[in-house]
Amino acid sequence: MLAHVHIFCFVACYLVALVLELSRLWFRSGLRGIAMLGFVAAGWVAHSAFLYRSAMENGIGAAAGSPLSSYRDWLLLAAWVLVMIYFYLACYHPTTHFGVFLLPLVLCLIAAAQLWADPRPFPREPASRVWGVIHGTSILLATVTMFVGFAAGLMYLEQAQRLKSKHVPLMKLRLPSLEWLQTVNSRTMLASMLLVAIGVASGIVLKLIALGQNIPSVPWNDPVILGTLAMFGWLLLHVIFAAFYRPIRQGRKVAYLTLASFLFLVIALAMVLFVNTKHGGVAADGDCKLRIVNWNHPPTTPSGGRS
Amino acid sequence: MSLQVVGCSHHRTSIAIRERLAFRRDQTDGALAQWRRSFQDVEGVLLSTCNRVEIYAARQSGPIPTVEEVGGFLARFHQIDPREIVPHLFVSNDEAAVRHLFSVAASIDSMVLGEPQILAQVKQAYQAAAERDSTGPLLHMAFQAAIRVARRVATETAIHQRRVSVPSVAVADFARQIFERFDDKETLVIGAGAMAEETLRYLRDEGARNVTIVNRNDQRAAERAIEWQGRARPWNELHDALADADLVISTTGAGRPIIALEEFRAIHAKRGQRPLFILDLAVPRDFDPAIGQRPEVYLYSVDDLEAACQNNRVLRDKELPLATRIVDQESSRFMTEMYHRATGPVIQQLRDGWQKPKDEELRRLLNRLPQLDLHAQEEIRQSFDRLVNKLLHPPLESLRDESRKGVPHGLLDALARLFQLRD
Repeated sequence: MLAHVHIFCFVACYLVALVLELSRLWFRSGLRGIAMLGFVAAGWVAHSAFLYRSAMENGIGAAAGSPLSSYRDWLLLAAWVLVMIYFYLACYHPTTHFGVFLLPLVLCLIAAAQLWADPRPFPREPASRVWGVIHGTSILLATVTMFVGFAAGLMYLEQAQRLKSKHVPLMKLRLPSLEWLQTVNSRTMLASMLLVAIGVASGIVLKLIALGQNIPSVPWNDPVILGTLAMFGWLLLHVIFAAFYRPIRQGRKVAYLTLASFLFLVIALAMVLFVNTKHGGVAADGDCKLRIVNWNHPPTTPSGGRS
Repeated sequence: MSLQVVGCSHHRTSIAIRERLAFRRDQTDGALAQWRRSFQDVEGVLLSTCNRVEIYAARQSGPIPTVEEVGGFLARFHQIDPREIVPHLFVSNDEAAVRHLFSVAASIDSMVLGEPQILAQVKQAYQAAAERDSTGPLLHMAFQAAIRVARRVATETAIHQRRVSVPSVAVADFARQIFERFDDKETLVIGAGAMAEETLRYLRDEGARNVTIVNRNDQRAAERAIEWQGRARPWNELHDALADADLVISTTGAGRPIIALEEFRAIHAKRGQRPLFILDLAVPRDFDPAIGQRPEVYLYSVDDLEAACQNNRVLRDKELPLATRIVDQESSRFMTEMYHRATGPVIQQLRDGWQKPKDEELRRLLNRLPQLDLHAQEEIRQSFDRLVNKLLHPPLESLRDESRKGVPHGLLDALARLFQLRD
């Protein structure tokens, strides 16, 4: 039965939920909220089933791959966590229109996974498996946190713009208060810095283990490493600066800073998707990663890995 | 079965008449007791607010008091000449009366469309009448339905969601969009106008606790601080108070702005980019309008808020057709149910009349077939029940259909004669 779960199933559900969310701008309906949550829940279940199948096929079931370690799975997992966050917010703040900002981000992540991401899993290396999980999970959660921060930053700017222009807040597109959004912005910045720090530290440990075992590892000047370090540097600077200079934690500044952080994330993701990198495996053929991937017939190497 | 409303409201009766007919809360008990003495067997609910005085009456059978009789009752109670008031009274009967009650409860008959107090007043009036045994089954049904309809209108339309007074718009539509909570915010009141007091009341409802009052007259500031449970600061500390504040309500009578842009720049520097919500309710304005351009400053003047109120009024008005449609739909449904209830005794007699021969035939059949086991007996019993229900279905459906237009007296008579039903 899981074999029939296709990406289309959950993308369609999220699209319908987004259309329902957008329809709030035009008309009222008593049943729409339930329908919206129903579609998101159904999509999330299909999404979970898809990831489970992928884990079984490419990781647990395969000899050499780590489960859910491919860039494709990683992006899908990020979207999956983001949907959970949206579902929580939609349940606890049913009158606020988070979906208008969060669901497009979910769809972007899925589109990136579908169109550009490499579906081959990272090779399985028992000595570094724990550190690999820590590394992947922390960077995944940091990505999700920065996506949430980005959405909160956009909402902040929109809400602030409305209030400055003295327009009565639209009942059709309700947004949280500036104070709430500012808190979310500040916390996501701090949380993403900590998570990226864990990700970078565990990445260094992975590299040291590989060096100790004389296994080929990702070079320090790999574009993905450089992109991630640049993002970490930016986040660290921001957090240190904010600790000593309070105004940076207030108002529009924090919103602009979360948007800037998101830009760093986009650059790091672009490195992963479009630049020839050895991160997560070794691209021996040296080909550019930019290609359309057919998920029903993902390209595989004899070893099941990428090297 | 009759239902009626007699009264006067802001639509066509001046306040001079309404205030003479109004009932104070302590007069309600006496008025209801007098109603019951004057009109035995007539249910009554008295609704008296600043915009309307209405008496809802209902009777299961027999005549209902005329508008003159109700006018006489009101005149006797208030000791005024009935001729002075009867011409000002309106009367609506049955479905029109129900529609009126539903409209009142749903606040679409109010002076300020969608104002929230009226539903509570309707509930109080109904509760008072119920406690004094002045209501009966008809008015119970009508008022409970009215409360349900009001909730439906509130849920399915945005008629209540738009605020239309300056202080409520300031707090609900703007301050709440900036701040998540108010209990940890500093509220600064400059001056001591009535509008400031009302705005402060809304802020208190939202949880505002820390209030500072600054006035040119220190004595006045101290008095207001006691009255509003805040603390007073001298006028010369105004700039410091502004640097500390999160919300500012300004209502001084100054002839020119009390805070110029240059002065505010120094204050702004001390604030560390914290958002500042300023309600400048003074005319002429207390704050230089250019201050509103500063980052993290949200400055609203009376004109801004009035414009927002007007916009909200227009939006409320747009919700009126939908609210009216709900009220119409619910009124006709209510009347159908009410008329259908009148057919209850006939339906019961009809059922009883068919039940008796069915039971007799069933008993006789089962006596003749003693070899049947319990399962077979139960099957036969259910079959007889189904047969009776199927035979009764068409006449009962016809009764329900006819009830949409009123109590179906003709059909009830025909059924009574055809099936020899007795009262």
